[in-house]
Amino acid sequence: MLQRNTPQKTLDSWKQIAGYLDRSERTARRWEVSEGLPVHRRGHQKSDTVFAYKHEIEAWTRRRTRFGSQDTAVARPEGHESPSEAPANRYLTEHDAITRTMDRYVAGARVGDGDLMRPAFHREATMSGYCQGVEYSGSIEHVFEWVTLNGPAPNIEPRFARIEIIETIALVHLEVRGWSGKLAGVNSRASDVFTLLKLDGEWKITHKLFHWHTD
Amino acid sequence: MSGAGGAYCLCMATAKTQSEHDAILKTLQLYIDGCKQGHSELMRPAFHPQASFFGYAGDQLAVGLGFLFDWIERNGPAPDIEPRVVSVDIAESIAVVRLEVANWSGKLAGSGVRMSDLFTFLRMPEGWKIIQKAFHWYS
Repeated sequence: MLQRNTPQKTLDSWKQIAGYLDRSERTARRWEVSEGLPVHRRGHQKSDTVFAYKHEIEAWTRRRTRFGSQDTAVARPEGHESPSEAPANRYLTEHDAITRTMDRYVAGARVGDGDLMRPAFHREATMSGYCQGVEYSGSIEHVFEWVTLNGPAPNIEPRFARIEIIETIALVHLEVRGWSGKLAGVNSRASDVFTLLKLDGEWKITHKLFHWHTD
Repeated sequence: MSGAGGAYCLCMATAKTQSEHDAILKTLQLYIDGCKQGHSELMRPAFHPQASFFGYAGDQLAVGLGFLFDWIERNGPAPDIEPRVVSVDIAESIAVVRLEVANWSGKLAGSGVRMSDLFTFLRMPEGWKIIQKAFHWYS
């Protein structure tokens, strides 16, 4: 496969990302904000120096297409198999659905808008963890408030360390580097463990457990 | 207390992680003891005051620690449960334990029922506490 061996695995500008999605730059930027399109920023450079990994864009596209979107436009990079094909098995379907819920969390964190991540959570969700040695436990509303007060964190790099699915419940361990903002400081790192519940066919976060690293 | 039956860990853990590991399973044992004897007060100290509880009991969505404690009392003793610790993962002040419990019995459970649990833990000054229990009941 020529595609797989091509050295250029990254897209290095909004223009390239938009081209890969076959959409306008404006749409690509909007998808980053509203749907968690995985766009990265290079540290210590002006905020508009963006890049994206093709494999991440493809995974995002697959999830987005499979689980629908309020946005009627469907992204499908040309030359790739139809992302709307039936999933290989149930585990993969659930895995994609869970990652899609997590995309909303990441999108809200990146933009600094708690309301944007709200749909990812169960209405009785709670959170707990330590930040600078102080324990915070209570309603998930505290997370939404924190995220909004913190403001944009454009350089966060989320990595899935673990996704475990047991029928109707799931666990997601997310390692997030590159946190920034009014409350997060500069280049902070957090470990997050989310518990999810499948509710009416949709995965919702019921708990966010976190640890802010001090290194 | 020897920790949960069937626990295994193949990782090359440091002494510090091992003691954290033991402390977590010690807290978990309080939960298991409460389940076995059908007494919720045995397991209460294992939980954080603001702990949550989520899962499906058949088609019914059960939410809140109150539901758990009430259920344990009404279910009564389940002396033959077989708990197996599937994984223990620790990241500084937080931890995750996956527990498989086979052979549940009791007034509400029936007999020979299986349950999968995901426990998240928070390290408090007084020790590790369960901050959430999410479960799936195989009906």
